[in-house]
Amino acid sequence: MLMPSFIRDRREALVAEVARKRVLVVDDASLVRLYYRDALERAGYMVDEALNGLEALEKLLLQPADLLIVDVNMPQMDGFTFLKVLRRQELPLAGTPALVTSTECGPQDILAARRAGANFYLVKPLTQDILVEYAALLCGAAA
Amino acid sequence: MTEEEFRRLCDFLYRRTGMVFTEAKRYYVQRRVTDRMTATGATSFPSYFARLRGDLNGELEQFINVFTVNETYFYREDHQLRCLTTDLLMECVRAKPPGEVVRIWSVPCSTGEEPYSIAIWLLENWPQVDAYDIEIVGSDIDTRALEAAREGVFGKRALMRLTPDLVAKYFVPVGPEQWRVLEDLRQSVRFTPVNLVETGETRAHGRFDVIFCRNVLIYFDDASRRLAAENLYENLLPGGYICLGHSESMSRISPLFEVRRYVDAIVYQRPPGGARG
Amino acid sequence: MPLIRRTPDGVQPDRPDAGEALATLTHGTRQKRWAAARALSDAPDAAEALGRALSSEDDPHVREAILTSLLRLRSAASIQAILPHLRSDNASLRTGALDALRAMPDVAGPHLPELLRDADPDVRLLACDLARSLRVADATHLLYGLLEVEREANICAAALDVLAEIGGPEALPVLARCAERFHDHPFLAFSIKVVTERLSAQTPRHRG
Repeated sequence: MLMPSFIRDRREALVAEVARKRVLVVDDASLVRLYYRDALERAGYMVDEALNGLEALEKLLLQPADLLIVDVNMPQMDGFTFLKVLRRQELPLAGTPALVTSTECGPQDILAARRAGANFYLVKPLTQDILVEYAALLCGAAA
Repeated sequence: MTEEEFRRLCDFLYRRTGMVFTEAKRYYVQRRVTDRMTATGATSFPSYFARLRGDLNGELEQFINVFTVNETYFYREDHQLRCLTTDLLMECVRAKPPGEVVRIWSVPCSTGEEPYSIAIWLLENWPQVDAYDIEIVGSDIDTRALEAAREGVFGKRALMRLTPDLVAKYFVPVGPEQWRVLEDLRQSVRFTPVNLVETGETRAHGRFDVIFCRNVLIYFDDASRRLAAENLYENLLPGGYICLGHSESMSRISPLFEVRRYVDAIVYQRPPGGARG
Repeated sequence: MPLIRRTPDGVQPDRPDAGEALATLTHGTRQKRWAAARALSDAPDAAEALGRALSSEDDPHVREAILTSLLRLRSAASIQAILPHLRSDNASLRTGALDALRAMPDVAGPHLPELLRDADPDVRLLACDLARSLRVADATHLLYGLLEVEREANICAAALDVLAEIGGPEALPVLARCAERFHDHPFLAFSIKVVTERLSAQTPRHRG
């Protein structure tokens, strides 16, 4: 056997760890949510969705997530306002890692995202590979 | 209805109301769609879907009604009543000296089950009930419903969730399977007409500590939802709470309120502190 | 019984008159500005002032009140007061402006064609979602037109998202041409595939 069993076990444990991670996709575009869900579920994540920042807060208060993928322009509560409100909540909720994905790509947008409490910023449209790569990175699991 | 049509319908309902129907519910949804198509004379899914999207003759409410229990009865959604006495009122009276008035608004109150339920629940379950004056107002746009609410006569079904003890304590039998709310209790709840989008009408009701506004905002169009939410915000004291129906989410209605989670319910709060006015 | 009943003693918020409201709209405390914004909801001439106040207002509740008053006015002037804010760098303001426009499709709708042709791609993108609240025939027609010429993938994606809900089988050739142009964009290819499936499935079929 080429692969020592402890390595194989470790790898299986890692896969299981990813499988338990929960991602909340916050985006008002149903096609975006579907695209992200498709990629993330195939990579072993549990995926939930919210249409805007308010729904995301409602969901997070009921069930925490390991990672947030957050759009900026959304009805009722935009992504930056959402992150600001989130970062004011109690820990550990307030510390949930957030990847902002936005169509806006100006330096002021990236600065606004950082100020609001984003951990990383990606410009749309993204590919599923990039999404999964950054999700793993921000979830603290091996990519 | 094809699988793709089902998805299209689900996407729309989710965006518009926040309600989620999974593949497991497909058969159930499909049957309701067929029922509504028959009722409205729609000959194809696309034509029914157009009617639903355009909310023709209140079709959205007609459609959603079949998924939510439309019936109103005493102690309906009692988890919110539990939340009221366990958490909300405690927060509200923190800054109130004993003897002050606690104001609760049930809107729309329909034929009165909800405001009377709140009254009975408080008398039975709130330990501080004697320390404060409690004012309960029930309002509705439908004046005939208000007339019935004032009469306070209810049938067996409306009382199904109340124990016989409670029925004996707060009602008198007035006919075969009919009970009337005690005179004292009827006199203590005020019923008024109101249209939630008319600021002049909502304003006249003053400010409340808690508003129960269940199963109405979700059916309003974008404009009315916005107008009503802002009026309700004005009708709340800073730090006051608003409770929606269990299938409603404020995320489809208004960004004015902060979401709060308590053990028994998710509720929404006007930010505390007068400055946030 | 501790339950009481009384006629409301009129715990009323401040209600400034229109002149006073115009003066405090941008200068008073948050509470005063909010009351001023509310008070101007029945002053048709106030639309322009309300629109200007949006630019300097940083309190989200006051901003909502201003937009809601413009919605209550529901006039050409209120649309003109809101439209410039779609270009705002402030996400909360531009999405708030869009929410307000969405709530008055009858008066905002006529502006959609020009918004979809706007030189600013961010405006075109936001405008797509406005199409959702319009009459289906008008909205689909405009979005099909946009899909034929739009070069920004994100804007096409926004149009596709609306068409997934309101489009019909007549969209299929448009979708095919769009797919051709964006064949190297994985997300657009995915979106077009989903929308194509959704819009072509008019006859019953079974899974698998």
